[in-house]
Amino acid sequence: MPDDVGMTVAVQLFPTCIGDVVAQQTVTDTERVLDALGIDHQRPSGTTCCGQPAFNSGHDSPARSVAKATLKALDDGSDLPILVPSGSCASMVRLHWRELFHGTPEAEAATRIARRVRELSSFLAEHTDALRDLEPSLAVRVGYHDSCHMLRELRIKEAPREVLQTVAGLELVELDSSERCCGFGGTFSGRYPDVSVAMADTKIDDMVAAKVDVLVSSDPGCLMQLAGRMSRQGTPVRAVHVATLMAEALA
Amino acid sequence: MTDRASFLAAIRSAPRGLDPGLPDRRDAPDAPTQLRVGEDRAARLQAEAEAASTVVHRVTASDVAATVARVLVEANSQRIALTTDLAPFVDDVQATLAVAGLTGAIYAEVAPNRAHAGALDATVTGCIAAVAASGSIVTSAAGAGRAGALIAPTHICVVRDEQIVGGLHELFDGDVLAEAGSLFALQSGPSRSADIEKVLILGVHGPGNVHLIIVAPD
Amino acid sequence: MSATREDVGGTPLPPGWAKPAHQPDAFELTTTTFEERAAKTMARPFARGAIANATDHAAALTTARFVGTDHDALREEARKIRAHAIANLPDYLDHWIDQAERKGTVVHYASDESEARRIVAQICTDQQITRVVKSKSMASEEVSLNSALEAVGVDIYETDLGEFVVQAMGDRPGHVIAPILHRTKDEVHELFSAMAGHELPNEAEALTAFAREGLRHAFLTADAGISGGNFLIAETGDVLLVTNEGNGRLTTSLPPIHIALVGIEKVLPRRRDLAVLLPLLTGHGTGQQITTYVSVAAGPRRQGEPDGPEQMHVVLLDAGRSALLGGEFEEALHCIRCGACQNVCPVYRQVGGHAYGWVYGGPIGAVLTPLFRGQEEAGELAHATTLCGACDDVCPVKIPLHDLLLGLRRRSDADGHVPRHEQLAFALWAQVWSRPLLYRASTAVARGSLRTLARDGVVSAKTPLLRRWTAGRDLVVGRRAR
Ligand code: SF4
Repeated sequence: MPDDVGMTVAVQLFPTCIGDVVAQQTVTDTERVLDALGIDHQRPSGTTCCGQPAFNSGHDSPARSVAKATLKALDDGSDLPILVPSGSCASMVRLHWRELFHGTPEAEAATRIARRVRELSSFLAEHTDALRDLEPSLAVRVGYHDSCHMLRELRIKEAPREVLQTVAGLELVELDSSERCCGFGGTFSGRYPDVSVAMADTKIDDMVAAKVDVLVSSDPGCLMQLAGRMSRQGTPVRAVHVATLMAEALA
Repeated sequence: MTDRASFLAAIRSAPRGLDPGLPDRRDAPDAPTQLRVGEDRAARLQAEAEAASTVVHRVTASDVAATVARVLVEANSQRIALTTDLAPFVDDVQATLAVAGLTGAIYAEVAPNRAHAGALDATVTGCIAAVAASGSIVTSAAGAGRAGALIAPTHICVVRDEQIVGGLHELFDGDVLAEAGSLFALQSGPSRSADIEKVLILGVHGPGNVHLIIVAPD
Repeated sequence: MSATREDVGGTPLPPGWAKPAHQPDAFELTTTTFEERAAKTMARPFARGAIANATDHAAALTTARFVGTDHDALREEARKIRAHAIANLPDYLDHWIDQAERKGTVVHYASDESEARRIVAQICTDQQITRVVKSKSMASEEVSLNSALEAVGVDIYETDLGEFVVQAMGDRPGHVIAPILHRTKDEVHELFSAMAGHELPNEAEALTAFAREGLRHAFLTADAGISGGNFLIAETGDVLLVTNEGNGRLTTSLPPIHIALVGIEKVLPRRRDLAVLLPLLTGHGTGQQITTYVSVAAGPRRQGEPDGPEQMHVVLLDAGRSALLGGEFEEALHCIRCGACQNVCPVYRQVGGHAYGWVYGGPIGAVLTPLFRGQEEAGELAHATTLCGACDDVCPVKIPLHDLLLGLRRRSDADGHVPRHEQLAFALWAQVWSRPLLYRASTAVARGSLRTLARDGVVSAKTPLLRRWTAGRDLVVGRRAR
């Protein structure tokens, strides 16, 4: 972590596989926010996935081979922060890579990278003054969903809320169920689709009851789940990434 | 049949896990069942007991018998038993009950016949201690018996001020349990269940009507 | 024996009480999948709502109970006590046995479930026990004790109100603390009215009174009381029982014989450790400051005591526990069965306890069942969680349930208990995604296909590969057009 966070002028951006396949908007919106802040950014070439789907299913060996590709791409000799616009991927790299690569030639690099990795909203929370100066504004009623791994592994709870609160006209509602799992759970969503969907529904009911216009989260996995279910149900709540909301507020 | 030696041998042959050592309770952190510094024991006992739906009476020694009699008359109890741990008050209570036209049998004489014990309307017991911070009375098999404090729909317990300990640490570190006999029990308010749709019902297998008489120091 | 059935005047057991319905014999674990079992509960909207309400309520009470205390430090203390007790299990057990025997307890040793059944059945046969009152015991559920005793002609009365309903319905408990949280008052009303032979008022109070009356008679006539045990205190040879209804203490007080079936991991070194463990067990179990009845028994009635059993037997149950010692999953033995992890589990909240197919539901069930019943039978359960970690944060003894679940998934992988198609899928995935060029190509293809399938940025068609996703959800790939 740089000594003086206010001075951060350049970062690397790891889009993650979900950002490469379904959540491209999240990645471009992240870039727009960084642009607005005047922070240089680049996507290192050759990143793939952090290995999480296999790791969380208990398959360490395929997880390792995939994560190794990403590790190589991220280990560029610099000590620039690596921003990850996905709470669970950030948690995977920051906390679990050391374990995954323990005893392998990549162990040292894994530790190096773990130190550089920053979950996006916690990084943005260090720039709330700069954000406020840009006068973001959007008249919406917003509920926030805590991603489980971001909340309980990285212990990040306030940061995304602080970021959202820089937006003029934005009303942030604390949902009763903000900390309850959305039911995504990676492969769980495919193994037990009915249970997974039912879990999403309890969250969605809560949002509808709280009359929010937009549901914001910092994890594209949770958003894929909640947006997907709401789209199927025709629920009139948008589910967007904190980067997307900020990009819109800054536009 | 597995015997003690082979049963333990199987367990002993397993590898040993990490032992963090037995923590010393003197460093134990504050539990909800501890007294706060400077807190009045009898007042805390009363508050916790009332929170658990116990009716609390604070009286002087000379008022114990009358209070017992009044509660029993109000509860319309006929078949009444007293346990021997009520000791300093037994004669007094029996005499006062007689005036009210009631008889207090001695529990030890009723208990051998389960049918009779099971048909009691009320029991009056002492205790070996009360725990202020958890609102509990502590009874012993040697004193109130195992079932003396919960066999009947109404239970009255008499505790003397000096029997009140602050919290669980104090109870377990003290020596009152040494003479408890084959069982000791903490009992905190009426018997309860919320099994049916979370509706709280008092008086399931134990008493629904529980009174605690706290006797002020002389 | 001091009291026989004939001694008891008063109300005889109402018709229909003499033989409560049998427990289901076999667990569903091997015959159905988690998904199938979950579907059964999810198809009963009341049950789902009730489970969600009850667990939310309990979780809120637990949180409230510890406000203003150093809860985390207390949990850490408890964790150390449990870890120390388990690390020294043989020594503490040995000491417990010495103390218990000194006080007249007869100790029996059950290496596995069938031995536990045999021992208890033998005691019943030897002592001519034909009627038993039983206080809630998860260990007895583990070994299916009731059906074993019925087989030797013993009538069993579960005396915990919830367990009584479970027994009479031929059901299984749905939660370690609240056995019938998945059942309605109407269901209980129908059941009890049928047992009574007439329509009872449909109110919790009246229904409870009905059960109390019949069970009171059972207490006064039973030849033996069978209980579990929440803790064994090594220092003093005690067996500790907590209940709110008082049935636990009556079980250990009224019948002439008391038999307790207790897992070996329940050992605590000293009585003073209860000052830490008891407030956690009760605060996390029911949100109470302390459970209404905490009974600590060591041995049968002694000279001069007014009541109590003539005999006390304790059956120590191993049944897979010692196999966990010193290994990766040892911490599962620290569990004090408070049920708090079930109350916060978002999956349990939807599917209830029965979905887990055996005795324990929720996170601890997903850990213990594969460990006790084997990976082959139950390995699937470790995957039936989202690894959200809510259980870790609430466990009063800080069991790392998330890590244990992940460890079980790894063990499935290592032991080859993973379905072939899953193995192949991950192998192929690794082949492609470990190579940036192939990765780029594959993601480009994926993006292209999704674009083709999408309408207004949304894929909702049921495509073969996405079938399990799109059955209940869309895949939103572009910005939603609204
Ligand atoms: S695992 Fe922890 S939270 Fe779950 S029942 Fe056991 S002690 Fe309670």
